[in-house]
Amino acid sequence: MPREQLRIGVYICHCGGNISDTVDVERVREHIAKLKNVEIAKTYEYVCSNPGQEMIRNDIKKHKLNRIIIAACSPRMHLDTFRQTIETAGLNPYLLEITNLREQCSWVHDDKENATIKATALIHGAVERARNLEPLKPDFLPVKKEVLVIGGGIAGIMTSIELADKGFNVYLVEKEPTIGGHMAQLSKTFPTLDCSQCILTPKMVYVSRHPNIKIFDMAEPISLEGSPGNYKVLIRVKPRFVDKTSCTSCGECAKICPVKKPSKFEEGLLQEKAIYLPFKQAIPNAYVIDKDHCLFLNKGVCRLCERVCKGKAIDFEQKEDIIELNVGAIVVCTGYKQLNVSPFTQYSYGLHPDIITNLQFERLMLQGIHRPSNGKPPRKVAFVLCVGSRSNSDGCAAHCCKIGCMNAIKHSLLLEKAIPDADPWIFYTDVRAHGKGYEEFYSKAREHNVKFIRGRVAEVIPNGDNILVRAEDTLLGMTVEEEFDLVVLSPALLPNTDTSKLAQMLGIDLGPNGFLLERHHKLRPVDSKREGIFMAGCALGPKDIRETTMEAMSTASKVATFLAKGKVTLSPEVAYVLPKKCDGCGVCVEHCPAKAIQIVSSKATIDAISCLGCGVCVPKCPKEAIDLKNCTNEQLMAQIRGVCEENGAAPKIIAFLEKTTAYGSADLAGQSRRSYISNVRIVGVPSTGRVGIKHLLYAFAAGADGIILIEGDDSPFTEEKLREHMIQLKKELGKFGVKSLRLVSTTTTLPQYEKVVNLFETFTERISKIGPIPKEKRAEIMKKLKLEGGSQS
Amino acid sequence: MKPKQFQKIVSEVRDQSFTEEVQKLRGGENILDCIQCGVCSGSCPARFAMDFSPMQIIKMIHLGMRDQVLSSSTIWICASCYTCATRCPRGIDIPMFMSALKNIAIKNGFASDDEIKPKFHKSFTEIIRKYGRMHEPELKMKLMRKSDLRELYQNAVLAFRLWRKGKVKLLAPRMDQLSHISEIFEDLLEKQEEEASK
Amino acid sequence: MKYAFFPGCAVHASAKEYGMSCKAISKVLGIELIEIPEWNCCGSIDAIYAHNPVLSISLSARNLSLAEKMGTDVITLCSACFFTLSRANKLMHEDPKLKGQVDNVLGNLKLNYNGEIKVRHFLDVLLNDVGLEKISENVKVPLKELRVAPYYGCLLVRPPEIANFDEPEHPTSMDKLMEVLGATNVNYLDKTRCCGASLIVTKERIALEMTKNLLLTAKNAEADCIVTACPMCHFNLDAMQKDVESTFDVDINLPVLYITQVIGIAFGLNVKELGLNRNCVSPMKLLSKLKI
Ligand SMILES: Cc1cc2nc3c(=O)[nH]c(=O)nc-3n(C[C@H](O)[C@H](O)[C@H](O)COP(=O)(O)OP(=O)(O)OC[C@H]3O[C@@H](n4cnc5c(N)ncnc54)[C@H](O)[C@@H]3O)c2cc1C
Ligand code: SF4
Ligand code: SF4
Ligand code: SF4
Ligand code: SF4
Repeated sequence: MPREQLRIGVYICHCGGNISDTVDVERVREHIAKLKNVEIAKTYEYVCSNPGQEMIRNDIKKHKLNRIIIAACSPRMHLDTFRQTIETAGLNPYLLEITNLREQCSWVHDDKENATIKATALIHGAVERARNLEPLKPDFLPVKKEVLVIGGGIAGIMTSIELADKGFNVYLVEKEPTIGGHMAQLSKTFPTLDCSQCILTPKMVYVSRHPNIKIFDMAEPISLEGSPGNYKVLIRVKPRFVDKTSCTSCGECAKICPVKKPSKFEEGLLQEKAIYLPFKQAIPNAYVIDKDHCLFLNKGVCRLCERVCKGKAIDFEQKEDIIELNVGAIVVCTGYKQLNVSPFTQYSYGLHPDIITNLQFERLMLQGIHRPSNGKPPRKVAFVLCVGSRSNSDGCAAHCCKIGCMNAIKHSLLLEKAIPDADPWIFYTDVRAHGKGYEEFYSKAREHNVKFIRGRVAEVIPNGDNILVRAEDTLLGMTVEEEFDLVVLSPALLPNTDTSKLAQMLGIDLGPNGFLLERHHKLRPVDSKREGIFMAGCALGPKDIRETTMEAMSTASKVATFLAKGKVTLSPEVAYVLPKKCDGCGVCVEHCPAKAIQIVSSKATIDAISCLGCGVCVPKCPKEAIDLKNCTNEQLMAQIRGVCEENGAAPKIIAFLEKTTAYGSADLAGQSRRSYISNVRIVGVPSTGRVGIKHLLYAFAAGADGIILIEGDDSPFTEEKLREHMIQLKKELGKFGVKSLRLVSTTTTLPQYEKVVNLFETFTERISKIGPIPKEKRAEIMKKLKLEGGSQS
Repeated sequence: MKPKQFQKIVSEVRDQSFTEEVQKLRGGENILDCIQCGVCSGSCPARFAMDFSPMQIIKMIHLGMRDQVLSSSTIWICASCYTCATRCPRGIDIPMFMSALKNIAIKNGFASDDEIKPKFHKSFTEIIRKYGRMHEPELKMKLMRKSDLRELYQNAVLAFRLWRKGKVKLLAPRMDQLSHISEIFEDLLEKQEEEASK
Repeated sequence: MKYAFFPGCAVHASAKEYGMSCKAISKVLGIELIEIPEWNCCGSIDAIYAHNPVLSISLSARNLSLAEKMGTDVITLCSACFFTLSRANKLMHEDPKLKGQVDNVLGNLKLNYNGEIKVRHFLDVLLNDVGLEKISENVKVPLKELRVAPYYGCLLVRPPEIANFDEPEHPTSMDKLMEVLGATNVNYLDKTRCCGASLIVTKERIALEMTKNLLLTAKNAEADCIVTACPMCHFNLDAMQKDVESTFDVDINLPVLYITQVIGIAFGLNVKELGLNRNCVSPMKLLSKLKI
């Protein structure tokens, strides 16, 4: 395709002094204006302002510009803005290049002269790259309008209802025999004291009757394939051994069943039969046989239930089932579990029947409050807060359980109501009363003369019939040693069992405390890192019901927005194969972190939907048969050449930064005004795996003295892979007589900009000591490179 | 050195360098991690006798209340029983830094005259240096306040009781390789003292 | 079963009966305890340590290096020695700089320590190496009538990263042994509450008060005796009991026996051999209850 005449427009922003106070923008402009194909070079006070954008649009039309360079703030700020600007002027949005003069130049350098030269070099690189830019078009893929909701607690229930009411089809998958989650076990709820089941069960019934919702109980997702908008999930459904449609919940079976076991729903405080209904209002409202306890299923004898069931609902032939669901989006609502307190032996949990957890207390309230040991009403009750929370001991939680304080207050008030002469004591570390109506609730407890002891409990010791609690009232500086009838522990709340396994399967992240991690703490609080997968409720961290519901609703709204577009945009910045060059050797296949490459009739083919656009495969191909759109070999080489052109502070260091996290980290250094030496010139790349030996050699030939590669630590191009890549690169450098000390790499998280800047500085120092690469050496490398197959540049 | 009376205004008794000093001690590394929960104080079997609870001592260290910490009875009453450290949710080795604080208190003259613990430490160390092992009667003799008649009498009664049960070994312990012990002490104690005097 | 034995200062002086009874039952159980020749003070929990940690650790290390030469783990009878030697072992393991300092000191004595042995309490050996079964096989006089209050105290079970053969809050090792001997364990609070032994010289009144509380809870639980596995606890609870009684004007008169003595009694060993005549609070009434 013959190339059109190149007409480049360059706009250099003052940024109201943010840039122009350090960089002599006028001098830069003069220099850049002289470069080949630069039709127009302007400076402007605020390029991003409306008049600034208008100016660009007019210039495009008037001067028939076909490449635009904006030298301003980081592309992380305004890439989308300017892409839109030129698109509205009729230019393909990918014909734009942004040079980062603020975060990575003016904000981090004090030396005006060298900052000005560096700015010129960076724009020069952009001009070279712009010559090679190609128009690109994103692809679109239709999305499935179905949603999978994992977990049927209040979070899952409310998400499902919101989505179903909006017209989406919802599959609600719950691993237990009933939906409802923890909320079904609660008595009354703080701070309003309304009855938990009374507000929950109507929602459960609503879910079960909704034409747009299908519940899979005793079911769990086991695998995930596909891409956002088009996920394929396999669900494993365990046998219930009772046919849900024929079971009338008459309970005749349970009457005759000879096996008893502790009830999970009653937190082990009551017994139930091997064939049981988890609780009266369970949904689905059908009995279930506990596989581990049923005599017939374990020893092959009994089948008494089958004999008495009039509806012939018992079905021992049921087998485990695997179901495939195709959905556009997934919502994870897997909730929490309580810390097992037994190993923390100072609380003596398990050594006395009247030492219980707060969840057990919920059940006691509903059973009619009594001491498990003797059935009598408890008078003096200790509520022990922060058990295993806010701790860095092994197996404990660093975070706050968030509900323990309010819950103990609730329990105290409920207790006083049930037993007029009750005497509740709350041992607290800090009373956390931050939610709506919470402080008022706390006040109410004080008015009711609930005793508040400020001090974490030191030990709980069974003492005959009673229990001794020892603590320090830290406000008085006095020891409190009191005997109680009942001691209620508030265990830490932890992510539910298997949360990490599930997260791994779904390809989403966990935070440091094991709960699911949101994309952004404040602005994207229910998005996972993966497009099309969302989260709500306690799976994200402990919270109360109100907050859980609010999250469920915002999640539903986010899912609806995602699905309502009807399509997902596929980035055009993906790798592609040049079939003529490919000999099907398959080297690329193993290196692709997304498993997007397959060999089809002895040619590599890349699935554009799965391709992450990291470009790791490109330098790996021995035949140079793969390239990456919007970061082609030609474009990258051109940019390197441009960036190396200008002579500023010596030695000259080129830093290739992975363009999301590592590049963002360097931006953060700018935002924090962490100044550093101006020797380092940054080139953003999709991943450092994109940078091959030829690029390094070319940079050295063109004037670089040292090269840095920095990858984001959350990148699919992992630290391990980077290490292997480095070994390879250093070996190759050796062959060309370049010291491997001239190349360095690291990984970073976004906030770790200190690490990045330190590397910039120590590495520059190291290269200063080694000294520059002599001219003849550069010429020799260039010659060898050309000989080797000049196809690349 | 010892403040006459407990100051009521924190800002008047602050010395932030003390916080850093304690952070450098064994056991003091993570002192800032303390969340003032009170588990240590509620656990401590000797709490009743202390002027400040272990938790309060830590708070005072946070605020740099050097003099108050070093002149507190708490650091001398801690029995190193490890109840607090076993339960502390932040993994703070309380007895370990209490031990180190005693040493600072002695060095800086904070131990009050009626405090026999410094004397105990000193005498204990001397006896070990002399015999390589403990010699209880000699330790007792060294610590006795010869002026206190009541105490003398009580000690005599106890000694008699013990002697009758064969629990008093009057002969000093003997080690053939006593030179080892001398060398260890020379290596470490003298060097340290030399350094300190410099 | 052969071990390097670190008796510690007390066992050579005020706690002779602990050493005697230990030897007597070891013989029955086939445990060979070989005293570390030329052992020295364990290093002290606090007295030397507070002043100069490296000195204390070097003293410990000398003992450890002598034991290592003998090629077996070190066994102690005293909770305090157990703690001090284990702490030194642990710190040297974790802190190479410290290990270097200590190596220098040992080097001057032509000794070295590779850190290959463990420090263990005799109770651990009884429970885990000998085993309850073997002990029960040797019981000649089941202690049917005896109500005992096993007392663990502090450093025998704490801190868990050092004392790790039992549980810090609800230890059971002595209870299990007592059961095997046929005795009844009384339920009483504060089995692991510190008796204040380390304060007995310097803060006598405080230590006595701590001891009093303990003695009274055990007595109120109707124990015939307290059982301990530490000479420090024993001294406080037994030898100082008279002082507790006079200071607080209470009547206690509760015998305090070493675990090794109680085992010896059940094995039918001789009163003299077990040093029972050396206990300050006479256990004779108790023995007659057992018809001994
Ligand atoms: C003792 C106690 C009292 C409380 N009292 C109150 C109160 O009074 N007021 C208040 O506002 N809040 C209270 N709370 C908090 C309340 O329980 C939570 O806010 C709420 O239950 C969170 O709901 P959820 O759906 O996020 O999680 P959960 O209720 O835990 O539900 C999660 C569901 O997901 C299912 N699941 C988990 N993993 C999978 C999987 N892999 N596949 C399929 N399904 C899965 C689980 O079986 C469960 O049904 C209390 C909490 C406790 C512990
Ligand atoms: S077959 Fe199983 S569930 Fe049915 S009655 Fe027998 S034990 Fe119970
Ligand atoms: S909510 Fe209250 S009980 Fe729970 S960890 Fe936080 S402070 Fe402790
Ligand atoms: S137990 Fe630990 S965290 Fe709590 S007050 Fe004491 S030192 Fe601080
Ligand atoms: S180690 Fe000291 S401060 Fe801690 S509980 Fe024991 S006596 Fe108290």
